[in-house]
Amino acid sequence: MLAMGEVHTGLLQNSGEISESTCRQVLGLMAGETVRVSRRPIPHALSPERLTGVDCALPSASRSRIRGVGTVVSRCAVTGGRVAQGSSYVRVVRSEADRRLPWSHYLSRPGVVEVLGKAKAADLAEGFVGDPAPGCLDMGAISGRFLDLVQASPLLDRRAPFRIPRTSLRWVAETGEPSIRFTLHTEQERTLRLTHPGPFTPAVVDLCEDLATHDWLLTSLLIIVERARIGATPGAQAVARLAPAIDHLLHLWMPAARVEEWLRPFWESLERQPGFTRQWRSLVDRVRDQIATSTLALLSAATEAGRR
Amino acid sequence: MLVFAISDKGGTGRSVTGTNIVYRHALQGNDVCYLDFDFGSPTAGAIFSVSAVARGAPENGLHEYLRGDCTQPRRVDVWAESDREALRTRPPGAGRLVLLPGTESGGELSAFTDEVVNRCAQLFGRLEEEFDLCMVDVSAGRSFTAELVLAATARLPAIPFRWLVFHRWTRQHIIAADGLVTGADGLLDVGARLGHDREDLHDRIRFVRTAVLEPDAAELVGLRDEQRAWLSACDGELRELARRHGVGRTAMLGKVPLDPVLQWREQLITDEDVLASKIANAETAAAFDELAKKIVDDSAWEGL
Repeated sequence: MLAMGEVHTGLLQNSGEISESTCRQVLGLMAGETVRVSRRPIPHALSPERLTGVDCALPSASRSRIRGVGTVVSRCAVTGGRVAQGSSYVRVVRSEADRRLPWSHYLSRPGVVEVLGKAKAADLAEGFVGDPAPGCLDMGAISGRFLDLVQASPLLDRRAPFRIPRTSLRWVAETGEPSIRFTLHTEQERTLRLTHPGPFTPAVVDLCEDLATHDWLLTSLLIIVERARIGATPGAQAVARLAPAIDHLLHLWMPAARVEEWLRPFWESLERQPGFTRQWRSLVDRVRDQIATSTLALLSAATEAGRR
Repeated sequence: MLVFAISDKGGTGRSVTGTNIVYRHALQGNDVCYLDFDFGSPTAGAIFSVSAVARGAPENGLHEYLRGDCTQPRRVDVWAESDREALRTRPPGAGRLVLLPGTESGGELSAFTDEVVNRCAQLFGRLEEEFDLCMVDVSAGRSFTAELVLAATARLPAIPFRWLVFHRWTRQHIIAADGLVTGADGLLDVGARLGHDREDLHDRIRFVRTAVLEPDAAELVGLRDEQRAWLSACDGELRELARRHGVGRTAMLGKVPLDPVLQWREQLITDEDVLASKIANAETAAAFDELAKKIVDDSAWEGL
């Protein structure tokens, strides 16, 4: 029918970025399972997947009672040794039985939630990206908990260079005529509706996580630039407030780095409208221009002092 | 940084001072949040003038979160939701000001389980990622709430925290404030039992005197000489008493002068109250401002 998930993204609670070997330890949630690491074009580490068994109501726009039974897949990721994520998703399918089956049945289908009774894909999709009623399947709670797991690792010193909110991205993917809709809700909540050609594969989850990472980067840089109050505070002060962005964020922008070829057009369409990279570049330029003008002011002050 | 606000007895002005410190800290450009853990009477909403949660949140308050009835406690953006004109726009340069209200008619904690401690620790951990300062209003005196937050912070060894003990400048309050910290089943006893290092915990505790009437205050100008002499002698005795009880100057973070406005109504003192309507004293606002700076100033928190 459809797949849906939620990604929570935040700043890794450590003073600096962490090395690949630390990443492996932090994300080693399960003994014996390996952490997948890729190094190009940006270091990215992905934890082994864990399952959460669920038997609960699924969100529905019409507020009808739809029962789903199965397992949610969750995992954590660290990008650039700096950005942490907790991500969960399920594939929703119709159950062939009209009652709950033994758990062995569901455990042999990881990441699948079977709907008992009638349900329309559109109703579920609308319900999930809309305002899910309390008591329904809450993948945000699961993802949040997985992100907590990373942040609470004893290997992290918890002395993050700045305070910044987490963001959440709730997504729904269906098969059909390609389309993508990315929506900002409150300051921290985003939703994504995706229709992709061909059947669902975990590559779709990679795409959503990649989007969530970049949306968080953009959101965080906007907050830091706003806090700097460029123009309203003395140049040196503004630059000092921008410094954490230079040290920790600016080099992390690597859109679609881990997105499979067939899903790239979705990123490209978001680049055209609303234009993630366009906004990012303009912000980065603004930050660098501030540094440049502040350096010039310092230099001319020094020259002036030298003449006297 | 987590800051726990506690008082020896009720009616010390803990909540009104705590909220004002948080408000000043936000004005100084920091992102702050205020957690109303005073479960018996969650009235922080009233001080921030958010009528929707004046007596706590009708649903998704902190009580329900800790009990596991909701996954995220409700957050109130004070700059957006306050009914007070002076609070409803975020001043330029100010940080976020967020209130996490308690649950309406939630009742005091009567006990807590390991799960509750975990949820509490999880909440502190998440908020600390996001806010420069999280102030937790723990109710007055020895309570399960105080024990809960001590248990939660013991599980978060890397997260910095501090305690503020609010007390009034009277004989009974000075003795009670000392008792709350060092007495039997006081903060240090309970903290040590729950895994804190006694010495380390002691270094993280400072006292704040509230509703202080200085012998040379302007309010006392009309007094007779005999009255003034008596007050001055009393003040001297109290200082000596405070020193003996470890509540003296060195352990004090600051003091808030007696202000008629706060005696009549628990509210935030805005600059407008001081400059435009002139209902509040400039000294009061300055004291809050000073406390808001000292709370994060490490030099004010060096080991005793």
